[in-house]
Amino acid sequence: MIRLEDVSVTLGNFSLRDVSLEVPPGGYGLVIGPTGSGKTTLLEAVAGHVALRNGRILLRGEDVSREAPETRRVGFVYQHYHLFPHFSVRENIGYGIREPGAGSRDQRVLELAEMLGLVPLLDRGVEGLSGGEQQRVALARALAPRPSILLLDEPLAAVDPATRRALRRELRLLHEREGVTTLQVTHDFEDAMRLGDVVAVLAGGRIAQSGSPESVFRFPNSPFVAEFIGTGTVLRGVVERASPDPAAEKPFGARFRSGTLELEVVAEREGEAYAVLRPADLLVSRGSLPGPAPRNRLAATVTRVEHGSAVAHVSVDVSGIGLVAAITTATAEELALRPGDPVVVSIKATAIHLI
Amino acid sequence: MIERHSRWSLVAWLLAALLVLFVAGPLVRLLIQASPASLGQAFRDPELVASIWLTVVTASVATLLSLLLGVPLAYLLARVPFPGRRIVAGIVELPVVVPHPVAGIALLLFLGRQSPIGRVLADAGLEIVNSVGGIVAGMLFVSAPIVVSASREAFRAVDPKLERVARTLGDTAWGAFRRVTLPLAGRGVLAGAVLSWARSVSEFGSIVILTFNPKVASILIYDRFTLFGLPAAVPAAVVLLLMALVVFLLVQLLAPDRTVGDRR
Repeated sequence: MIRLEDVSVTLGNFSLRDVSLEVPPGGYGLVIGPTGSGKTTLLEAVAGHVALRNGRILLRGEDVSREAPETRRVGFVYQHYHLFPHFSVRENIGYGIREPGAGSRDQRVLELAEMLGLVPLLDRGVEGLSGGEQQRVALARALAPRPSILLLDEPLAAVDPATRRALRRELRLLHEREGVTTLQVTHDFEDAMRLGDVVAVLAGGRIAQSGSPESVFRFPNSPFVAEFIGTGTVLRGVVERASPDPAAEKPFGARFRSGTLELEVVAEREGEAYAVLRPADLLVSRGSLPGPAPRNRLAATVTRVEHGSAVAHVSVDVSGIGLVAAITTATAEELALRPGDPVVVSIKATAIHLI
Repeated sequence: MIERHSRWSLVAWLLAALLVLFVAGPLVRLLIQASPASLGQAFRDPELVASIWLTVVTASVATLLSLLLGVPLAYLLARVPFPGRRIVAGIVELPVVVPHPVAGIALLLFLGRQSPIGRVLADAGLEIVNSVGGIVAGMLFVSAPIVVSASREAFRAVDPKLERVARTLGDTAWGAFRRVTLPLAGRGVLAGAVLSWARSVSEFGSIVILTFNPKVASILIYDRFTLFGLPAAVPAAVVLLLMALVVFLLVQLLAPDRTVGDRR
């Protein structure tokens, strides 16, 4: 278990402030944030490399806030691996193994090398290894002393997309196999969606939002979080209640106005607000849709179509406001959309998330 | 344009050749001056042999002291942002700009019998003036900055995150230094030590004020030159020059591999 309680750290002009976070035993937590938000400092605080100004850190239920890094039993993998250049791959992996007897040490090195496909590289120097190989050696080295906590600093940032996908799978498998409570920092929300049990969004040294990846993605609590993790289009506007009578047929029926755009929404309050429109919730059609029509039907013009392997992103212009819809490539081909085509964009009132 | 370029190249080559000639010429001339017979005689000269032996031993002691005191300081200067770090770094560099006879006078005042420290040292049996202690003190004063400066740069070239990784793998601060930082910075530290040793061997200005006798090689050469003229000084000078050339080759071999620093 990793638990941070109101942790504050000051390093030069940068501060981490009142960070609270919990990753359950055996869980996989992700801290996501832009460059300079304090992600690495947060990990270094957990590892004991930087002193706390305030708060405490509990690992395995014990307060380790004042303990030296070597007694915290954490494994640490930095973004740029930081393999020891004067040691071979085997020596790097075995560096932290303190078990008595060369036999058990060699056995553990071999076990990890087999798990990560490093056996042919064991007697090589670390220079000349590819990014993915270096990453695997760094992972094996961190796991070799059997830590109960694993800290990963953007482990997938410096590798090519194919290696990133493979490493992401390996990370998840390793996590399940070794049962290590893991805290990873990343700037890529896809890592959080695919790996994390818990995710925290860090901005300017503070936790902006935390929770399950799904809940953070679907219900961002600020325009910053919505935009950073790419939930969807964020519009600033005003909410007006449709009926002042709470006993009306739709007690939470309301309208959201942003410039010339007007949307039916479900809201408990009035006043200034941000509306988040998720691409997957926007339906695009050339005419009327079959079945019950959603409340919001907007005349729009296609401005751009980006085809992916399974999903196509269609950018449309609605009265001067740009929205993005995600539709299946099959639907995109069926509609044969081109820039300049008039379309109808629909979205349910309940699908619009208000902040 | 091309013509101006080639003219400039020609001038540059000429100026460069002049400087190389100015540096190499006297040394080559000195080596030629000494006949094999006079060199053989020099190696059989008991006073010169004793003087060279004294120089080697005192320079080695000064270098070891430089390493013992200078490496920790270099590590702190490279790694720890303590208050007054720039002032401390400046103080350690000062001997480089202080004229060496001035350094000798300053050391005499600071460590001589008239000073409190000098009295304490003398009472402890460590005489500085006109003794081997004075030679080591003079050498240490001028050569320690070389060890500190070279070691600091060597430590700076080692990424501190390597030490942090070692700490999370169970090493204490000393363990991480011993197993990771020192091996990686070792060549730079050693190159600094060799240069420091060479600087100690060549020291004259401060030692001539602190300890004229017993004579280190540089003072013996000066003494023979003033008493007996050039022919008496040349064989001893050649022996010292050969020692310097050996050290120079060592430094070239030990120069840190820049690709290590570049890679990080």
